[in-house]
Amino acid sequence: MARYGMVIDTRKCVGCYACRVSCQMQNELPVEESYIKFYEKETGVFPNVKNEIIPVQCQHCEDAPCVSVCPTKATYTTKEGIVLVDADKCIGCKYCMVACHYGARTQDHNTGVVEKCRFCAELVAEGKQPACVSTCISNARIFGDLDDPNSEVSKAIVKMNAQPLRPDLGKAKIYYVR
Amino acid sequence: MVDTKLSRRGFIKASAATAALASAGTVGFNEWFKEYVKAGSNAEIKEIPSTCNACSSKCGMIGHVKNGRLWKLTGHPDHPYSKGKLCARGHGYATVVYSKDRLTQPLKRVGEKKFEPITWEQAYEEISGKLNEIIKEHGPQAVALTEDPRASGKFYSPRFINALGSSNYFTHHVVCSNSRDAGFMHTVGVSSTSADISNAKYIMFIGRSYGDGIRPSSVQSLAAAKDNGAKIIIVDPRLNNTGNLATEWLAIRPGTDLALVLAMSQVLIKENLHDTEFIKNYTVGFDEYAKELKKYTPEWAEKITGIPADSITRIAIDMGKAKPKALIEQSWRGAFGCNYENSTETGRAVAMFNALLGNYQQKGGSIFGTKPHLGNLDEGKHANPKDPDAPKAGKKEFPLAYHSHGVATMVAKEALEGKMKAAIYYHSNAALGYGNPKVMKEALSKMDLVVAIDVQMSETARLAHYVLPEVTYIERDEVIEGLSGKIPGIALRQQMVDKVHPETKPIHEIYTELAKVCGVGQYFNFSLDELNEAMLAPTSITYKQLREKGTIMFPNDEIKLGEVPKLKTPTGKVEFCSETYKEAGFNPIVEWIEPKVSPADDSFRLITGKQAIHSHTQTANIPILMQITKDYDLERIWINPARAKALGIKDGDLVELKSSEATSKIRVKVTERIHPEAIFVPSHYGITSKDLKTGYGVGFGYMEHVPFDFEKWSGAGNIHEVIVKVRKVKG
Repeated sequence: MARYGMVIDTRKCVGCYACRVSCQMQNELPVEESYIKFYEKETGVFPNVKNEIIPVQCQHCEDAPCVSVCPTKATYTTKEGIVLVDADKCIGCKYCMVACHYGARTQDHNTGVVEKCRFCAELVAEGKQPACVSTCISNARIFGDLDDPNSEVSKAIVKMNAQPLRPDLGKAKIYYVR
Repeated sequence: MVDTKLSRRGFIKASAATAALASAGTVGFNEWFKEYVKAGSNAEIKEIPSTCNACSSKCGMIGHVKNGRLWKLTGHPDHPYSKGKLCARGHGYATVVYSKDRLTQPLKRVGEKKFEPITWEQAYEEISGKLNEIIKEHGPQAVALTEDPRASGKFYSPRFINALGSSNYFTHHVVCSNSRDAGFMHTVGVSSTSADISNAKYIMFIGRSYGDGIRPSSVQSLAAAKDNGAKIIIVDPRLNNTGNLATEWLAIRPGTDLALVLAMSQVLIKENLHDTEFIKNYTVGFDEYAKELKKYTPEWAEKITGIPADSITRIAIDMGKAKPKALIEQSWRGAFGCNYENSTETGRAVAMFNALLGNYQQKGGSIFGTKPHLGNLDEGKHANPKDPDAPKAGKKEFPLAYHSHGVATMVAKEALEGKMKAAIYYHSNAALGYGNPKVMKEALSKMDLVVAIDVQMSETARLAHYVLPEVTYIERDEVIEGLSGKIPGIALRQQMVDKVHPETKPIHEIYTELAKVCGVGQYFNFSLDELNEAMLAPTSITYKQLREKGTIMFPNDEIKLGEVPKLKTPTGKVEFCSETYKEAGFNPIVEWIEPKVSPADDSFRLITGKQAIHSHTQTANIPILMQITKDYDLERIWINPARAKALGIKDGDLVELKSSEATSKIRVKVTERIHPEAIFVPSHYGITSKDLKTGYGVGFGYMEHVPFDFEKWSGAGNIHEVIVKVRKVKG
């Protein structure tokens, strides 16, 4: 069985926001609601400067705090490791928002449901890539089966020594190259 | 084209079954997906290939239309610019089709700011009446048409204005690429080359950022080049967003790029690293050029550019060693597009530097693309309007300007002089984006007739006498777009959803109908489909096939790298020495030209550039894109920390920015990513049309600060020749 994960190579990310907008359209989100947030890290002094752009979304934690705190079990993890939200069971209590280390959850002000990146599960089920991956203009995102050592994502993690954003906060399924 | 996919929300609404599954414990993907498909079986989804309109690239895209409404977009995998990807503005701009601020019916101005709806018939009658009156009294040259050219516009707009007897067809390039076009045109015979980025070993960008002014395939190529170990140098007064992909940032003093290129050229020749074989076979005037160039040493350039002479020498030598897989990229609006008084010379110097490297038509070098062979209308049945007698306005003043694009701001200049009496603006917000808005406004007010054809009430539309509402690009078919490049191809923009507002019309219909009423309908006696069929005739492609595929490439017609074609310059060769320049009254050999203005110790040069989410001013009113601006404070100006500190300015402070033309209030982003002598302002803000509710009042328009000016060579807008002072004010 597949266990899905992603690599984000921030050395290639140009901060174009295409992932954000394509995600919003795929998920029909209101304009002010987004599953992907961007952080900038500027280092150095003119003219020796580097600027890193770090896109952050649900990290699909192995032992996800949002799943364990959810009082109605609306947030659950599939056998393939994708953390999903059952909108019919979500009561909008926001425990998951507090529990998430990454600030990756966002409440839909129309429905009250607290949603987040779902790795575009319906596209993945069809054998396609999540919207953010397929539109990434610099190929900074790679998605696939972490359990398959021959998958592009697994090879990329090894080759580029990709690491979770915050390994101290538990096992995540998004790996960053920085 | 019909599929049974649906979105998460449709699924959530339709399904209680998955809830039951989920609550039963761990759910597998297969079970989940089965329920998902079941729940969404009623949603009809069509996938329609088309082309984007969010910038000039017109990338291929696929519209996913759910139950008749545009749901989402994906990049067309076959289109050479998108290669399966779309940028943020491409995804977001398409929502314009459902904008609350759309124009829905023809309007006539009845007071200074008051418009009333009229019928199309009345609009056509009155516009044609005025046009014919003006032509009768002042001649056809008193009428002009300006556009930001896209597929249908490129065919219909010049045809329409020529049918009226006027040669005054202009494009937005006066504030985009006029200088580069002129410099390249008279050196290598084309207004632009392309670049074989993915195979290049050494790439220099001057004022150009693939990550901000995006064509997705370019960014993919650059990322691939980086993976292959290419050296990537960004020359820019600000560390733009492509910085991540670069090996080195040369934080050049703005306006001095020409000095850098001249010095690098001098080093190449001095070190004997120029391609002597290429120069012997394909160029003229090298000896005079080399002699003239001797004075432009790296030490000379260091004083002007602020870039260490050692770096200039090192990079030039490394590029010489990497030739022909080394190049300076051709750029658009950057430092040799339209920004400085020396931009045409910079364009010329760049084209010559690439010639020194012998990189033309070489793997990893500069590429002269090839065009698809498309057919024309049968002239027996569909006569072309005859070429107008009088030359285009500005031809005399700017003989070096690329003729097809012209100098669009000449329309305003001649209006102020009382010569230009009527102007039509199609898909063009000239009043805000082409020159100083105060001057543009005055110019437009002097004319007897201004017509704006648009989808929203732009600043230009508000100044027009008549506003004609177009359908958006999501609701119309267009003329076939020929794609030139290493491999030629064709793409078709086609309608994805039904017309949202019944009283809007596609541009080809507007021109055809207006031409009839103007009495020149004989030049528009064909349908769009007939035109497209005629264009397809020489290819083996049927219209039906093109409609199904959207983009079709012709790999059999791929150009052969290594073979340098005969150039379209007067000598058929690269012209290091140009008689054309001489005849136009300029130095036939490239030379250092000072920028027109320079900042003092207490002032800055105002520079501008693109952000990845916006395009000209047309995207400012798109909520899904403007929200990103708001979330990340992207409308702020950039200032260097050392200068900010001296002025008592902290990150996020409100400041007053004052130039010779205007005063603006704006918050600041204090960043090490900007040259201390420059202030950077993103180019898409400052909407002043109150009808554009999302964009109105966000940031300020940098054009407000740009004096109305013409670069001497190409007529370009000199949009970086602006000095500003900044002081902190209370928020």
